[in-house]
Amino acid sequence: MVTYEKQRCWSILLRLFHWMFALSIVVLATTGFYINNPWAGNMIEGSRAWPITSYVRYIHFIAAYTFSSAVAIRLFLYIFGNKQERVLDILPVTGRNLKNLFSTLLHYSYISDKHDERLGHNLLAGATYLITFFAALFMILSGFYMLFPEVAFWQKWGVILLGSQQQARLYHHLVMWWFIIFSVIHVYFLTWNDIRHPEGLISSMFTGVKFKQKV
Amino acid sequence: MADTVNKTLDPQLNRRGFLKGCTMAAAALGLSDTMIPKLVEAAATAERPRVIWLHFQECTGCTESLLRGSHPDLARLILDIISLDYHETVMAAAGHQAEQNLLETVENHPFILVVEGAIPRKDGGIYCKIAGKTAMEILGEVAPKASAIISIGTCASFGGVQAAAPNPTGAAGVQDYPELVGSTPIINIPGCPPNPISFLGTILHYLTFKRLPALDSMNRPLFAYGRKIHDQCERRAHFNEGRFVEQYGDEAHKLGYCLFKVGCKGPETFANCPAVRFNDVGVWPVSVGHGCTGCTEPNFWDTMTPFYERLPNVKIPFAGSVQSADQIGKKILGVTAAAVGVHAVVGVGKRLIKGNKDD
Ligand code: HEM
Ligand code: HEM
Ligand code: SF4
Ligand code: SF4
Repeated sequence: MVTYEKQRCWSILLRLFHWMFALSIVVLATTGFYINNPWAGNMIEGSRAWPITSYVRYIHFIAAYTFSSAVAIRLFLYIFGNKQERVLDILPVTGRNLKNLFSTLLHYSYISDKHDERLGHNLLAGATYLITFFAALFMILSGFYMLFPEVAFWQKWGVILLGSQQQARLYHHLVMWWFIIFSVIHVYFLTWNDIRHPEGLISSMFTGVKFKQKV
Repeated sequence: MADTVNKTLDPQLNRRGFLKGCTMAAAALGLSDTMIPKLVEAAATAERPRVIWLHFQECTGCTESLLRGSHPDLARLILDIISLDYHETVMAAAGHQAEQNLLETVENHPFILVVEGAIPRKDGGIYCKIAGKTAMEILGEVAPKASAIISIGTCASFGGVQAAAPNPTGAAGVQDYPELVGSTPIINIPGCPPNPISFLGTILHYLTFKRLPALDSMNRPLFAYGRKIHDQCERRAHFNEGRFVEQYGDEAHKLGYCLFKVGCKGPETFANCPAVRFNDVGVWPVSVGHGCTGCTEPNFWDTMTPFYERLPNVKIPFAGSVQSADQIGKKILGVTAAAVGVHAVVGVGKRLIKGNKDD
């Protein structure tokens, strides 16, 4: 009979980041598609004003500020978070992390049944989170460049790094697809892991606690 | 005292036309009406700045719109406040005499250089030659001696249509040749063609205040390119309230609704077209039912096309095909979903065969 114990894993700040981030992305992608192709027409001219396009853009911008704050929280935690939250825990630079990367690759491709026990993210998951973090920085740069093109800071960096407003808009739209594709992979592997390993992975993002075998 | 009754200027330019031109430029510059007398005075002083106007890879549309619009007064005003020492389209001299004039001004006088058209770089610049010299050579001789360079039109500013992919001649704008231009300040007045008022405003600003107007980070004067078309458009209320043209010629089009869904690039373009308008009859593209094509922006032939779509298409490297952003996104999503499905099926299959071995 194996016994399990609770181990504290994710701080409240990380969980706050996660849900701010995930929910704002759902809103941003939905309103983003709408902004690209606004389908809800208000064809009654002269009726009471109902600026639907403005409202959808407004919601996009509120979600954008939530999203940006979440990214700022994550940046703080990469440096000052607990051991699992620091960026060094998911960078493939230490021997421990490289070992985890290979064992996870073997495990995910059904070659090995061995599960490399660790409290934080596995390295494969960590890599997708890092890509997502940089994609998020990109969305913030291109988004604020479109929102405040007249402000010297955004204009300078937007022109240097992205080019015209139209180019920013295209890249903003293309990188959105990363978030959609990431979500599919993310939720699939969470479920896959949750079925195979009784550590309570999914609930850890609500409770901050994982269940590990007592040694 | 300024010569506002016009004794020394072009006799065909009457006082009314002269003041009107200066007032339009003052309005475009955003100056208060108390500044108009100063502009008038500066424009009417005897000391007319010398201007050399070079034509490279272009269609002369910029010159045409400047000189042959329905603005005879404006064109005359421009030709009267500057001394056009060299301009291939309108100068009287020809051949060696013309080249002599050019040399004379470059060597002996301060002058403003206006460039119209792109400059090709490929194969030593042989794709544009005038009087036996390449455009690059001419620019290298003239530009460093100028007191300022005005790149008129999108071609001279950013390369324009010549620079559109695959850019066979390696065309580029003046500002892409810092090695030829040296430290001469560059001011871009893009547009295909640009509004003559933006050119006149820049010149008058220079004459009145003895310095160039404030520029954005693409070297465009802020008085003309400081705001998005979309933020000044008369159809903006329709955009906000969700009234869109779905197709050219439909009921919404007849009613004058917003052209966003048929590809209007107003939200991505900086210019003063909705405010200054064209041809003395108060029109601009959107006011006559066509979306903005984004002609004042760099690479507009590549990034603003298809003109009737929201976003440009994306060229897939190696595959050689061209697709829209969402077509690509949906395909990758489909492949991801399929891969996830296969992965799950393999997992379930393995478990059925071998039993549950996980810890
Ligand atoms: C993952 C996060 C985000 C996603 C998925 C997203 C998605 C989108 C999409 C699809 C569009 C429409 C582009 C088009 O016309 O095709 C858009 C527009 C826009 N987004 Fe985002 N966005 C995100 C984050 C942000 C952020 C952080 C900002 C910062 C303020 C921002 C600001 C804007 C602006 C200003 C527009 C243009 C709106 C307009 O001109 O009407 N976005 N976004
Ligand atoms: C059904 C909804 C979701 C659940 C239950 C969930 C749950 C989790 C869990 C349990 C983790 C930790 C996994 C690990 O240790 O590797 C995690 C991490 C993460 N999730 Fe989600 N997630 C959801 C949706 C999303 C969405 C939609 C996004 C964004 C597109 C997202 C972005 C992230 C990121 C960036 C991390 C890494 C956190 C970090 O930086 O440390 N999640 N999520
Ligand atoms: S910017 Fe347009 S109008 Fe001007 S020269 Fe080039 S192609 Fe002709
Ligand atoms: S017509 Fe074009 S510029 Fe005018 S509101 Fe619509 S999208 Fe904006």
